[in-house]
Amino acid sequence: MNTNSNTYTVIYSIILVVIVAAVLAFAAMYLKPTQDANVKKDTISQILTAATFTEVEDADILDTYKQEIESAILVDINGEEVGTLDIEECEVYGNSDLKRQITADPKALPVYIFKNGVTVVPCYGAGLWGPIWGYVGLEGDLKTIKAVRFGHKGETPGLGAKISDEPSFAEAFVGKTVGEGEVIFEVTKPANRQTENNGVDAISGATITSQALGKTLNQWFGFYQNYFAKNGITAEDVAEAVINETCELEPVTEVEPANIVEE
Amino acid sequence: MANIKETFLNPIFKGNPISVLVLGICSSLAVTVQLKGAIVMGLSVMIVTGLSSLICSLLRNTIPNRIRIIVQLVVVALMVILVDQVLKAYAYSVSKTLSVYIGLIITNCIVMGRIEAFALGNKPFASLMDGLGNGLGYAMILVIVAFFRELLGSGTLLGFQIIPQAVYEFGYVNNGLMILPPMALILLGCIIWVQRSIQKDLQEK
Repeated sequence: MNTNSNTYTVIYSIILVVIVAAVLAFAAMYLKPTQDANVKKDTISQILTAATFTEVEDADILDTYKQEIESAILVDINGEEVGTLDIEECEVYGNSDLKRQITADPKALPVYIFKNGVTVVPCYGAGLWGPIWGYVGLEGDLKTIKAVRFGHKGETPGLGAKISDEPSFAEAFVGKTVGEGEVIFEVTKPANRQTENNGVDAISGATITSQALGKTLNQWFGFYQNYFAKNGITAEDVAEAVINETCELEPVTEVEPANIVEE
Repeated sequence: MANIKETFLNPIFKGNPISVLVLGICSSLAVTVQLKGAIVMGLSVMIVTGLSSLICSLLRNTIPNRIRIIVQLVVVALMVILVDQVLKAYAYSVSKTLSVYIGLIITNCIVMGRIEAFALGNKPFASLMDGLGNGLGYAMILVIVAFFRELLGSGTLLGFQIIPQAVYEFGYVNNGLMILPPMALILLGCIIWVQRSIQKDLQEK
């Protein structure tokens, strides 16, 4: 057979491509459920890190999440609860869901509230080469950052990739506060910073990634601002709660004080 | 049979794709920060070179000469995507560390080089062995480089702490340069140096 004729070449390439496409399609479909489960597990592991549960064994991630989460809700831009995420099913918002929320109207933004008092909110935006995202764990006042976990698709290794690889970068966020108004959070060099306690140093050599991260955080903190304002427990709230509690407890203590002490 | 053994063993030392042919340098610089990544990368390349050589060798008498390179590329791309998908499903954390480099196996000169130079002119079994041998030769260099980089750069091997805490208390610090790609190139240079002093015939006059 003449393997150099045009007809042969065309038919050969068509058959080859069809076979290859079929093999790839089959592999992609067959492996998709496992891959999706991995991605979900990875997302949950990032949420757990932001909620200060670090060093969770790979096999325990889902169980730890189910055990430690108090509630997972969806809120709109006004901070009102508009839905819940199924905890038993470990339902979380992945990157594609987060991406959709940036332009969606009305929004359904996930909030993960843990039993240890940490509230985790996500953020998602564009980095230098691809998407970057993060999970920020906030203390009860919904202002002070307790822990963060950032991730990226393909930032430059050794430079922009440091947002997820370099522990000291994430540690720099701990104890900082989420501000209000226009300048919510800044990732810049200290000289360029307009505010005192809601900024961290950028990564040298990765200006665009750093700025993009700052912009992403600002955008998402902006989305959550009303929720934070409504649900954050301030020092006055704590004092008030203590007073209320004692008031409510008073009649009980009068009746049988001894029992309560024992319990 | 002796011939096939030679085909398999030759690329491991005497005709090593990295240290003698100097192919596939880029990926050996990129994925050798940690031993685990290097091992998985080495295995992936072995599978890709082995199987694509085998397939191309099976097809060698039917491939139209004018689209020879395209057919080779399609076969290699198929294998690379399959390896990538399988890693994503069953070794997610490693696949995340290796990120784009698995996909970039397709641009690894070793794969195309072996198909073009060997598989298209030899029987399937010999081609499979040639591909596997070259993959193994590549993997071996990767593992050697990664061994030194992880040990000296992070003080660990496969993630386990090797250099004891006591040594750090005496003022020993991990060599940060080892983490960066230039050090991989220097280590690679050292390997080539060692090999050429053993194998005198490789030295250029």
